[in-house]
Amino acid sequence: MQEHFNEEIENLKTSLIKMATLVDEQVERVITALETGDAQLCKGIKAKDREIDIYDNLIQTQCENILALFQPVAIDLRFVLSALMTNNQLERCGDIAVNIAQRVKKTNDMQSLIKESHILEMGQQAKLMLKEAIDAFINNDIQMAKKVVDSDEIVDNLNKQIFNFLVEKMKADNALIEPCSHLIVLIRNIERLADHACNIARNIVFYVEAKIIKHQARLNRQTE
Amino acid sequence: MEESKKVHDIIDIKNLDLYYGQFQALKSISMSIQHKMITALIGPSGCGKSTLLRSLNRMNDLIRGVRITGQVLLDGKDIYNSGMEITELRKTVGMVFQRPNPFPLSIYDNVVYGLRVAGVKSKSQLDEIMEWSLRSAWLWDQLKDKLHHPALQLPLDQQQRLCIARLLAVKPEVILMDEPCSALDPISTSKVEDLMHELKKDYTIVIVTHNMQQASRVSDYTAFYYIGNLIEYADTKKIFTAPGVKQTEDYISGRFG
Repeated sequence: MQEHFNEEIENLKTSLIKMATLVDEQVERVITALETGDAQLCKGIKAKDREIDIYDNLIQTQCENILALFQPVAIDLRFVLSALMTNNQLERCGDIAVNIAQRVKKTNDMQSLIKESHILEMGQQAKLMLKEAIDAFINNDIQMAKKVVDSDEIVDNLNKQIFNFLVEKMKADNALIEPCSHLIVLIRNIERLADHACNIARNIVFYVEAKIIKHQARLNRQTE
Repeated sequence: MEESKKVHDIIDIKNLDLYYGQFQALKSISMSIQHKMITALIGPSGCGKSTLLRSLNRMNDLIRGVRITGQVLLDGKDIYNSGMEITELRKTVGMVFQRPNPFPLSIYDNVVYGLRVAGVKSKSQLDEIMEWSLRSAWLWDQLKDKLHHPALQLPLDQQQRLCIARLLAVKPEVILMDEPCSALDPISTSKVEDLMHELKKDYTIVIVTHNMQQASRVSDYTAFYYIGNLIEYADTKKIFTAPGVKQTEDYISGRFG
């Protein structure tokens, strides 16, 4: 029975790794498209997202089956729960990649504005966080996971800074209202990408250390 | 431990060693059983959990060659003290066994058996306690019209609950259960588990079970034993979500045992 259970857990892990790899590739492509302004790179992003959605359903079914048939406890239960949560985060990252691709198509003639606003730096940082979160998941690497969580502040600060920059641009020049609006939506997407990477990292901490670190900073602030 | 759950200890086990001849079955066990809580004892076969359970009402005294050192304090009094009245002890700390063991008597006579042994003769008093005991074991409605039928003709789960009713009649404080559902089907098991949950309001229950799901469903605290040692004893939620000892985790997740 234990072998059968281990096999199911391994299958679940394999599905998650395959899904994470697809998501990583999608994000890599749209961030490169953003950097180069090459909208051609965004072709096929939507079709590929369908594959991610198929993994989403598959992983949910795998988790449901393991819970129903094996009733795991302790570390095994935490793995299945964190797999369910990570699946959800990865699926959202896939959708965000599609959203970013749509914005890239609409903003590929605004390269100077994009460069000036530090959006590329924010995109690189979010992409790196997602990659590290995925690596941390594959290797059960708690240190890496905690680093990802800590990096969220960098993206949050860039988000605020870029938002203010774009608002100033719009105030100064009416003609920039539409392009800057697209860029605001874009940075919102990048910020969400980093949030999901953090959540994946938090899931790893939950799995390995049995600690829930979600909302930690906010809850700590409220009790102070 | 959650603040709301803090209650006093009813049983305090201190450095309990138990030997069957040369074989040491329990090794310096120390733990406290909380009042009006369900405590599950788990562990692989031969780990000492049933031995420990039987030590709590001196059932091991019946086994030849048993030697016990240490203390089991029930409400502060050592049950192994020479002054302890065993019959009184077993009324206070009753036991439910793996297979239901009603006497080959009527349902009525089974329930009032202990009372009669204790010298209660009044018919109205016997009737009153019998009805109360059957109601407490959720059997009154099913059995009130056949109180003089043979107990051995009842379905197994009713026999098991009748044994619980027989215990309740003598007003115990603690109920020891040695795999009480292992002979029952899932629906009957569920009825006994529901009853345990209800009984917890008035009694302290200690249960030995091989069924991990049962331990996690019914108990407030869980103690894990391995080769005579108490490995971990904690809130059941903690044991089944984030046990503190690797050995506990390996056992409850089926990696050994």
